[in-house]
Amino acid sequence: MGSGYRIMAIDDENIVGKMIKANFEPDGYIVEVFLNAKPALERLNEEKFDLVITDLKMKDIDGMEVLQTIKKESPETKVIMVTAFASMDTSIKAFRGKADDFFAKPIKIADLKACVKKLLDK
Amino acid sequence: MKVVHKIIIGNALAIISIALVAVFSYHEFNLIQDKLHFVEIADTFNASLLKMRLSEKNYFLYGDKSAVLRIKNELVKNGEMIQSLKFNIIKSVGRQEFDKLLGFFNNYKNEILKIETAGSPKSMEADVRDAGHALKRFSENITRLERKKVNKIISASRKTLLYFFCIIIFTAIAATYLFFSKLFRSLRKIEKTAKAISKGSFEKINEKISNDEFGSVMLAVNSMSEELQNREDQLVQSKKLASLGILTAGVAHELGNPLNNISMIAQTYLTLYDKLPDEDRLDYVNTVLSEAERIKDIVQDLLDFSKPKGKDFNIASLNSVIRNSHRLVNNMLHVSGIKSEFDLQKDLPPVFIDKNKIQEVIVNLETNAIQAMSPGGMLFVKTRYKENDKYITIEVKDTGKGIETEYLNNIFDPFFSTKGTEGTGLGLSIVYGIIEKHKGKINVKSEIGVGTTFIIELPVYTLKED
Ligand SMILES: Nc1ncnc2c1ncn2[C@@H]1O[C@H](COP(=O)(O)OP(=O)(O)OP(=O)(O)O)[C@@H](O)[C@H]1O
Ligand SMILES: [Mg+2]
Repeated sequence: MGSGYRIMAIDDENIVGKMIKANFEPDGYIVEVFLNAKPALERLNEEKFDLVITDLKMKDIDGMEVLQTIKKESPETKVIMVTAFASMDTSIKAFRGKADDFFAKPIKIADLKACVKKLLDK
Repeated sequence: MKVVHKIIIGNALAIISIALVAVFSYHEFNLIQDKLHFVEIADTFNASLLKMRLSEKNYFLYGDKSAVLRIKNELVKNGEMIQSLKFNIIKSVGRQEFDKLLGFFNNYKNEILKIETAGSPKSMEADVRDAGHALKRFSENITRLERKKVNKIISASRKTLLYFFCIIIFTAIAATYLFFSKLFRSLRKIEKTAKAISKGSFEKINEKISNDEFGSVMLAVNSMSEELQNREDQLVQSKKLASLGILTAGVAHELGNPLNNISMIAQTYLTLYDKLPDEDRLDYVNTVLSEAERIKDIVQDLLDFSKPKGKDFNIASLNSVIRNSHRLVNNMLHVSGIKSEFDLQKDLPPVFIDKNKIQEVIVNLETNAIQAMSPGGMLFVKTRYKENDKYITIEVKDTGKGIETEYLNNIFDPFFSTKGTEGTGLGLSIVYGIIEKHKGKINVKSEIGVGTTFIIELPVYTLKED
């Protein structure tokens, strides 16, 4: 299935990363989890990832900044934004153009899987 | 009794006593006048008597016939006078004395008339002289008595008037004193309460309410105080509800995370159930429980905050109250792009506080701080205590735009706001009221463009407060 694809999950809620890992690894994805944006961005500099799932609001660096940095450094990396602000559609629209997809919490894992698959299989 | 009635009665009494004095004086003066009039008449009468006695002497000693005629003339004159002034004389000396006088006069007149019919004057001499003498003595006697009476009346009236004067002055002073001392006592009570009310503590006058105008004023002040208290409670509660609106939006987001965690775990649990090792299943379920706990805490904070006035003071840990309050504004910080730093001193002594109220204080101060900053700002919250101090200090500091010096005196006033329709201006006035009820202090330091620090001092709990 998703054999060999490298996925990075960034969310300061550790359970989110843990669950993404638990759900994607059995399908053959390689998943790395980060609680903070800074070390995640450093890691992205070292290695190329195929897809990044990142939270919009984090304590150290804003999710928007993460998105912009990734799209600048490696435009081919897909980015999925996750946020709890289901109602803040203005900010959602602002980055929607740049992000490859957007998920509101609570995340439907099946949908996320389908989305990842769709983005990477293209 | 009403004050108006008291004044009316007081004035009426004054008028009555003045009228009494006037009537008394009028009566006394009339009496004096009558007596003096009599004395005047008597003097003329006595002078005339003297003349008659002189003529009488001339007649008997020198046989002066014309003397009898002169006496007769005088007698006629005096007789007419006595008749015409009869009324005045009676008024002054009384009918009895008048009759006596008339008796002596007529007696003398008869004796004189006898002279003409009797041949020898010598036989008459003794009788005439006796009658004249008796008349003269009686007349002079009552004149003297009347003079004495006049003096007596004058000195008695003087005394009576003096007593009257003293009594009136004394009662006036006593009544005024009683009246005004009660008046001032009532006024002072009202003033004291009004001052307390203006300072924001809605006291009432706890005295027997008298049945006069002051009673009405006191009742009015009391009901005003009560009404103000109600209004303030309403304001405080409506400000709380307004804050609650903002906080709830943030808290809803705070709930998003644990809800998402529970949801993701449940989904994973369902899809991977067969493949999960037992320990993972256990771990998942435990995580679900702790996330549910997290939700409960957040909801509890919100519930605590929304509670109307609780007024329950308890021993509490200030740091945990601050942490709980902070959960409510956490999302606001996120949204506004503001970082926060906590420096809560460990092992603070306990405080005796109304937790919900102190939570409101922290929320209001942190909300103000966040509203004063632009993204990138920092919020610092600090607690400090030095051994043996009576107070714990809480500092809420921001790197916001600061407060204009001219506004520093106004920021704690109700409705003072520089935020236009965005602010009610009640936040800090409520904070001030709460800190005052906790016998604490609040101070502010601010520098334009640098930031603002609110410093609160709360008394440390000591056993005797219980
Ligand atoms: N941390 C702060 N930095 C700068 N100004 C402040 C700060 N805290 C308070 N102020 C000033 O004090 C005023 C009064 O504050 P207060 O909390 O009483 O009312 P408000 O914040 O305007 O309204 P509300 O609390 O209802 O939102 C504010 O309008 C603001 O001008
Ligand atoms: Mg405020």
